[in-house]
Amino acid sequence: MWSFIVRRVLIIIPMMFIISILCFAITELQPGDFLTQYLDNPRISAEQIELMRHRYGLDKPAYERYFMWIGNILTKGDFGYSFAFERPVGDLIWERMGWTVIIALLTMIFQWILAVPMGIYSALHPYSVGDYSLTVLGFVGLSIPDFFLALLFMIFMLNIGSTNIGGLFSPQFIGASWSFAKFWDLLGHLWMPLVVVGLGGLAGLMRVMRGNMLDVVGSPYITALRAHGLDEKTVKRHAIKNALNPMVSIAGAELPNVFSGTIIIAIVLNIPTMGPFFYSALLNHDQYLVMTFLMFIALITQIANLFADIALAMLDPRIRMN
Amino acid sequence: MKRFLSVLLLTVAFFTMCLAAPFVEDSVLTAQGSKNGGTLRLALPSAPQSFNFYGVLDNSAYTVINQFLAGLVDLHPVTNVVRPGLAESWEFSKDYMEITFKLRDVKWSDGVPFTADDVLFTMDYFVMNKVAKGNSVDRFTAAGKQVERVKINPKTVKAVLPAPMPGIFQSLAQANIYPKHKLEAKIDKSNPDSVNKVWLTDTPTKDFASIGPYMLSDYIVDQKVVLKKNPNYWKVDSKNNKLPYFDSLEYLIVKDAEVRTAMFMSGQLDWMDVEATAYPTLKQKELSGAPFTIFLAEPTKNVPSPVHIAFNFDASNINLKNLFSNTKFRQAMEFALDRYRIIDEVYQGLAVLGGVPVLPSNKAFYNPKIENIRRGFDLSKAATYLDELGIKDTNKDGIREFKDGTKVEFTLLVANSPVDHQDVGLVFKENVEKLGIKINLQVLDATLVGQKFGSGDFEAGIRAFGNQPDPELRKAIWQPGRQLYYFHRTTMNQNTKEPDQTYMYDWEKEVFEMFEKGAVTMNPELRKSYYDKWQELYAEYLPVIFLCKGKNLYGANKTLGNAYQAKDGLVYFSTWTAYRK
Repeated sequence: MWSFIVRRVLIIIPMMFIISILCFAITELQPGDFLTQYLDNPRISAEQIELMRHRYGLDKPAYERYFMWIGNILTKGDFGYSFAFERPVGDLIWERMGWTVIIALLTMIFQWILAVPMGIYSALHPYSVGDYSLTVLGFVGLSIPDFFLALLFMIFMLNIGSTNIGGLFSPQFIGASWSFAKFWDLLGHLWMPLVVVGLGGLAGLMRVMRGNMLDVVGSPYITALRAHGLDEKTVKRHAIKNALNPMVSIAGAELPNVFSGTIIIAIVLNIPTMGPFFYSALLNHDQYLVMTFLMFIALITQIANLFADIALAMLDPRIRMN
Repeated sequence: MKRFLSVLLLTVAFFTMCLAAPFVEDSVLTAQGSKNGGTLRLALPSAPQSFNFYGVLDNSAYTVINQFLAGLVDLHPVTNVVRPGLAESWEFSKDYMEITFKLRDVKWSDGVPFTADDVLFTMDYFVMNKVAKGNSVDRFTAAGKQVERVKINPKTVKAVLPAPMPGIFQSLAQANIYPKHKLEAKIDKSNPDSVNKVWLTDTPTKDFASIGPYMLSDYIVDQKVVLKKNPNYWKVDSKNNKLPYFDSLEYLIVKDAEVRTAMFMSGQLDWMDVEATAYPTLKQKELSGAPFTIFLAEPTKNVPSPVHIAFNFDASNINLKNLFSNTKFRQAMEFALDRYRIIDEVYQGLAVLGGVPVLPSNKAFYNPKIENIRRGFDLSKAATYLDELGIKDTNKDGIREFKDGTKVEFTLLVANSPVDHQDVGLVFKENVEKLGIKINLQVLDATLVGQKFGSGDFEAGIRAFGNQPDPELRKAIWQPGRQLYYFHRTTMNQNTKEPDQTYMYDWEKEVFEMFEKGAVTMNPELRKSYYDKWQELYAEYLPVIFLCKGKNLYGANKTLGNAYQAKDGLVYFSTWTAYRK
C-alpha cells in the first residue's frame, strides 16, 4: 500500500509539470493580454500601456515568462502576482477557499445522501411506481439548467415575501460574529445553492447506484448468500457494499468539479466562492491567477483520485495495489 | 433653469468667500429633510480590486474610494458643476498661468490636519507618477511640460501651468488627495512602482485615513464593503447639520444584474441603477404599490456609453477605403440609419438622440445646431447619394457594384457584449441591404474586437465610448491623430505616436485645431465656440455616426429620503445627503 502511495505521489510531480506547460499554453492562446482591456480607455496613453507591459513583464517572450514563473514556484513557492489585485495569487485563492470548500462538501453530501438511498430503493423495487417517480425526479433535476432553476427559486422567494435571495447571509449578518440568528439566517440561504447544484448531479449518481445495485443483486454470490440462509437485511448489506465500489471512483472525479464546475450558478446565486473569481480572472487575462487556479484544480483532481483509489482498496479487499 | 441658476449663484458665493466656513451642501440635495442614523445599502457589480485610487483601474474600486477620499475640486453629484472641494477657494494670476489654492481647514478622520504636504505628496508620488497604474500625468501636462506644484504655506499651494489649462478643474476633481502621514512610510521613494502596492484589499483598515463622507471599516471578501460615517467630514446641510446623515454605508457585492434587481425588490438595496430591460417590470410593480420608486431621467452620466457606427478610412480593401473616406457615402449611411426604430426596438424607448457626442443635458458645451444638421432616416435620399457616388447595381442582381465590377460589400464588426450593439447592427444591416449594399455582421469576443479596432484591422464597426462633461477629457478619442481616433489611424504617426496632418482631411485639420485651441483657452464663451465648431464639423462630415444615448434609470426604496426627481427632470441623490425616513 505504502509503495503504491509513494509511487502515485511521485507521478504527480511530472504530471504537474506537464500540466503547467499546458495551462501556460492555454492562457497564451487566449487573444490579447491583461492590458488589452485598457486599449480603449482614453485615460491611458499608449506610453502608459507600454510602461505597464514592461512592469508586468508582458514584453518578455512567452517561454521566458514561463520559466520565470515556474522557477519562482520551485525556488520560492511564489505563484506570482495578480495583475489586477497587485497581490500574490496564493493569498487571493486562499481567501476564497473557505466557503468554496464548505459549499462543495455540503453539496456533495447532499447529493450522496439522496442519490445512494434513491438508487438502492429503485434497484430493489425495479419498475415500480416509486422507481419511476424517483427516476423522473432525478431527470427533471438533470434536465433543468441550474441557473434557470436558481432564477425560478428566486422568483418564488420574492413572491412569498422572503428576503433570502442570493448570497449566503442577509446583509446585516455578512461579517457579523457568529450567533444562532446568523446560523439560522445561513440555513435560510444555503438550501438554495445546495438544492440547485445538488439536483443537477442527483440523477446521474442515482442511476449509477441503481445500475450497480441491479447488477449486484442479480449476481450468483447474492443467490449463494440467500441459499446459505442469511436474512434479507444481511444480504442487502453485502449487496450495497459491493455496489458502492464504482461510486467511490466517481467521488474522486467529482471533487474538482465542485471547485470549478459551478461558476455560472455561483454568479447567479451570488455565492462568494472561487468560481466567479476565476471567471473574472479569465476575462481580465489575469494570467498568473488563472494558471495557478488551473494548477490547483489539476492537483485536486490527482489527489482526489489517489484518495479514491485508496478508499476503494480499503472497501474492496479484492483490489491489489500492485 | 432656476435650479441651475441657484447652483451657479452658490458656486459664485463660494468663490468670493475666503472664510474658513464649512462647505454648505446644495439645498436641492437635502430638500426633503434630514434624520441621522441607520445604514445605507447599495450594490457593487464586482469586488473592488484595490482601495488604492492610483494603483487600480477598476470602477467598483473607484465607487468605494470616492466615499472616503476627496479632491481639491468637487463636482456636484448630479449637475457636475465644478465647485470647491478640499480647496475652499482659488484664484488665477492675471495671465492665467498660475492658480493659487487656499486649502480648507479640515482634518482627516484620525484627527490629523489636512495640509499642503498631503497635496504635494499625492501629486508627486501618485498623480504624476508614470508607473502608478491609475496616474493622471497626461491630464496635468500641457505643451509637453508638467504642471508644477509649489507649497506656499501649510494651507496654500500654487499650481504653475505650462500653458493655460481650462480643463484642469475637471482633472482636479478626479484627483483624490492621500494622507501623507499614513502612506509616506509605506512607499519606497526610490522605487516608483511601490505606490501600486499600498492600500490593497488585505490592508488593515487602521492603515487608512478618510477625508470623504465615510471611512473604510471592513471588507468581507467578495461579499461586502462596510464604511462608517466620518466624524470629521467637512460638508454640512443648509441648517448646519453635519453630513452624512447615515451612520454607515454598505456596498453589497452582487455580480449578477438579475440578483441586484431581486435584492432591490426585496428591500435589501436602497438605491440602484436600473437596467433598461428591467425598467418595464419594476415600473409596473411600483404602480401596483411596491415599496420603491423608479425614476426615468434625461441622460446626464457618462454611462451607458452612446453607440456609434464607424467606417475605417484606412481599410485594406482599396475600394472600401475610398468609399469610406468619402463624406457623401457616410452621409448616405446616416440617411440609412433608422435611429427612432433603434430607440424603440433595441432600447425600449428609453433613449434619446445623444449629440455628437456631447449630451444635450450638458449646458456648458452642447451645440443644438447639430440637430439641424443631423440627417433623419430617408432611404430614397441614401439611394440617391449612393447613385451620385457612381456605385450602382449594373448587373441587376440586387447588389451595387464598384466601377471595377466588384460587389459593394463590407464586414460590420460587433462585440458579443453588450448585446444592444448586435441588435443595432442587425437593424442597420437590414436597412443598408435595402440599398443594395451587403453587410456581413461579424460578432466576436469583446477583447478581440477591441484589439481589431485598436490595430485598424476592420472595415466597419459598432463601438461606444462614455461621455464626459468636458470635451478636453475626450480628446484622446475625438481629436484626429490621437490614440483612439481608430477609424482614421493614419492621422497619427505610428513611429512617434504624435498627430500627423499629412493624411488629415481639411475638416479633420479644423477639428484638430478646435481641440488644440479649446485646450488652452480660458474664456468660457470663446472655448465653447471652438467645441461648438467641432460638433458642427462632426455632424456634417460624420467621422463616425452617433445613434442614441440611454436615459438615466434609477430605483429608490421609498424609505429613503432626499432621493427624488425634481421638476427639472433631474434625479437628486447622494450618499452623504440621503437619510432613512
